[in-house]
Amino acid sequence: MPRGLSIYAEGNSALHRAHPFTKGTLTLVAIAIGFIAPSLAWVIAVAVILLGLLTLADVIRRFVPVALGILLPITLLLLIVQGFANPANRTVFFPLGPLSLYREGLAVALLAAARIFCLISATFLLSFTTRPADLAEAMMQRGLSPRFGYVVQSALQIIPQSLESAARIRDAQRARGLETEGSLLLRARAYLPLLLPLVLSSLVATQERAMALEVRGFGLSVHRYRRVVLPDTGVQRALRWFLVALVPLAIGARFAGWR
Amino acid sequence: MPDLRLEQVTFAYPGDVRVFGPPGLTLELKAGATALVGENGAGKTTLTKLLNGLLRPTTGNIVVAGQPVAERTVAQMAALVGYAFQNPDDQLFQRTVYDEVAFGPRAMKRPAERVAVAVKNALERCGLSQEAKTHPHDLGLPDRKWVTIASALAAESPVVVLDEPTLGQDWAAKGRLKALVKSMVDSDRLVLIVTHDLDFVAEACSRTVVLTRGVIRYVGPTISAFADEGMIHEAGLDLPSTTRLGLALGFQPVPVGEGAFLRAIGSKR
Amino acid sequence: MTAALTMRGVRYRYPDTTDYVLDGIDIVVQPGEWLGVVGATNAGKSTFCYAAMGLATEFFHGRLIGEIEVLGTEVRRQTVIERSTRVGMLFQNPFTQVSGARERVDDEVAFGPENHGLEPALVKARVAEALQQVGLSELRDRHPLDLSGGQLQRLALASLLAMHPELLLLDEPTSQLDPGGTKELFEALSRLHAAGVTIVMVEQKLEAVAELCDRVVALAQGRILADGTPARVFNDAAVQQQVGAPIYVRLAESVGLPSPWPTTFETAVRAFNA
Repeated sequence: MPRGLSIYAEGNSALHRAHPFTKGTLTLVAIAIGFIAPSLAWVIAVAVILLGLLTLADVIRRFVPVALGILLPITLLLLIVQGFANPANRTVFFPLGPLSLYREGLAVALLAAARIFCLISATFLLSFTTRPADLAEAMMQRGLSPRFGYVVQSALQIIPQSLESAARIRDAQRARGLETEGSLLLRARAYLPLLLPLVLSSLVATQERAMALEVRGFGLSVHRYRRVVLPDTGVQRALRWFLVALVPLAIGARFAGWR
Repeated sequence: MPDLRLEQVTFAYPGDVRVFGPPGLTLELKAGATALVGENGAGKTTLTKLLNGLLRPTTGNIVVAGQPVAERTVAQMAALVGYAFQNPDDQLFQRTVYDEVAFGPRAMKRPAERVAVAVKNALERCGLSQEAKTHPHDLGLPDRKWVTIASALAAESPVVVLDEPTLGQDWAAKGRLKALVKSMVDSDRLVLIVTHDLDFVAEACSRTVVLTRGVIRYVGPTISAFADEGMIHEAGLDLPSTTRLGLALGFQPVPVGEGAFLRAIGSKR
Repeated sequence: MTAALTMRGVRYRYPDTTDYVLDGIDIVVQPGEWLGVVGATNAGKSTFCYAAMGLATEFFHGRLIGEIEVLGTEVRRQTVIERSTRVGMLFQNPFTQVSGARERVDDEVAFGPENHGLEPALVKARVAEALQQVGLSELRDRHPLDLSGGQLQRLALASLLAMHPELLLLDEPTSQLDPGGTKELFEALSRLHAAGVTIVMVEQKLEAVAELCDRVVALAQGRILADGTPARVFNDAAVQQQVGAPIYVRLAESVGLPSPWPTTFETAVRAFNA
């Protein structure tokens, strides 16, 4: 049975022990700098730092399938589309009969791919090393409403449960003679019998869950003690401010002629 | 010709999660009421899903009502195996109980007159005639369960699988279910009942298949299955009340079901 | 002594309906009692639980007539959340009672006490105690969704127990469980009953009700058909006809034993041996 959408992996690296906000800031700043940085070399520098952090957190091996499954196809697609068809294409890089791959398009594609690499590796760095519940708890302690925090925490576990019930619904309707394979028209017709039971049963479950939460005092307005989240330290706070400061600095540098 | 035949059927879920290992399940069942019992995870539901092609065996053959399952789609098998799943909310979606029960036969493209007769008949036998125009979700869970049983019935299939039909049902409903099973058996159908409720099995099923950890532990008359108390406990089940009482009173042979208990006590007096 | 639950002239109907699902209920449940509530499908059993918890008016709205007092307070003067510190309610489906926000069994049990603002050390002690009461201590570090149905229902019970309820309302707590899970849950409840917790339990398994409960209320069409000891209620002809009775009653009647007929296994063995 799936345990949730969380891809958190147990570990004891510096990143695992860091406060969720520190990692959140790191992720957002890395993405921002990756997109602000002017040239391929600079973006690759950011990517290398992220790869280093993934290695430090001992999750680099889990990142490989992500890189191969998501990043490689995107990169190839970008290279082909831009290399053949970018309007700025002038210089032939690799002649291929009537079509040719052009240097200008390939450069654009590589830069875009490197930026996407930063975006995805930074996101996964956060997800691999942070328990979603810890992130939500940390946000609630900074004033996020507990109800919203609950939605964040529970969605990660309830969505896989819904997927499981979607599979059961599919079985039940097929066993009644519903054709779910074949032409597009057939599959379109199968849409309602598959979707409606999921919606209806989710509604029933939601009502029951709401009652079950109330009888456990969820939403009671009393002072709640904080659940222990990973410790925040002065060093981490300073690090966060430093990271945040990099963003306006980078933007300023771009205006000042950073190439 | 048996209504159901499994020959050396092995099966594993993706990721090599083996349910039925070699030499595989071999089983022959004829028309009648058969209980399929065993502990959670023994493979009961997996076995029934192999019967209509929802799952395909790794190796081995399955023949249902003379038709090789391997050569049929699930939709084609639906006409041969009526199936009422455990949780009714996994299938209910129409606006009325009538349309819900008619969904299967309509999906099988049966003529309208035949569908009308089958649905009317199914609703009647499941005590739902008064609820034909009710929205299924306006019914309580036990009655929603009856809607799915009626749906399986309306398929007019030679084989009917009922998954935990007595769960949450009251005493009167269990009596109604017993009568329904009997009438299906009288019309020469094979009713396969997946259940933990041995009180019901004692009353309604003449044969029992005991499955433990993916192996068929027993196939045969229900009476002899329940005489083996050790096997029943091993399968995570409780003996029916009549049998337990008969054992405590020292009746031989061990009575199974109310009728047998009353006969046993009659002959003792 | 304040009654655990009092209903006086209670009538209730759901919104947009005309029939009263509860149609004149009068009952007083004393502290420490284990009351079984039985009845055919649609007799009003679940609604009885919802009404007692105040869910009927707060969640379903509808129309409620009469008085319902829980542990000395009229339900309409308190919200369900406020009452949750003293009353626990267990529902049929174990899966919808998991908060879904916690990744360990013990964290899940802590959810309620934390909502009530208990200090961490006390929460910890309560969690350990509750898990022990339902026999789940060994599984405290598992993920809730990795548990079986029976274990999950005991987890839901532990989640209530950690709040030290004085009254437990149970709505067919075993209807979705297999025999093993049912036995485990009933054993946990028996221990709680012995410890003095008041239990009101709607249950379909009549044999279990007769074995476990001090007192039984049989409902039919939203009214109380009979109220008394299991032996008395299940020997009532109207109850036998409309609600049913443990199988021993039917057997003894068929054999022609003199009434009152036995309602439990032990009494049945004695009666048939005589």
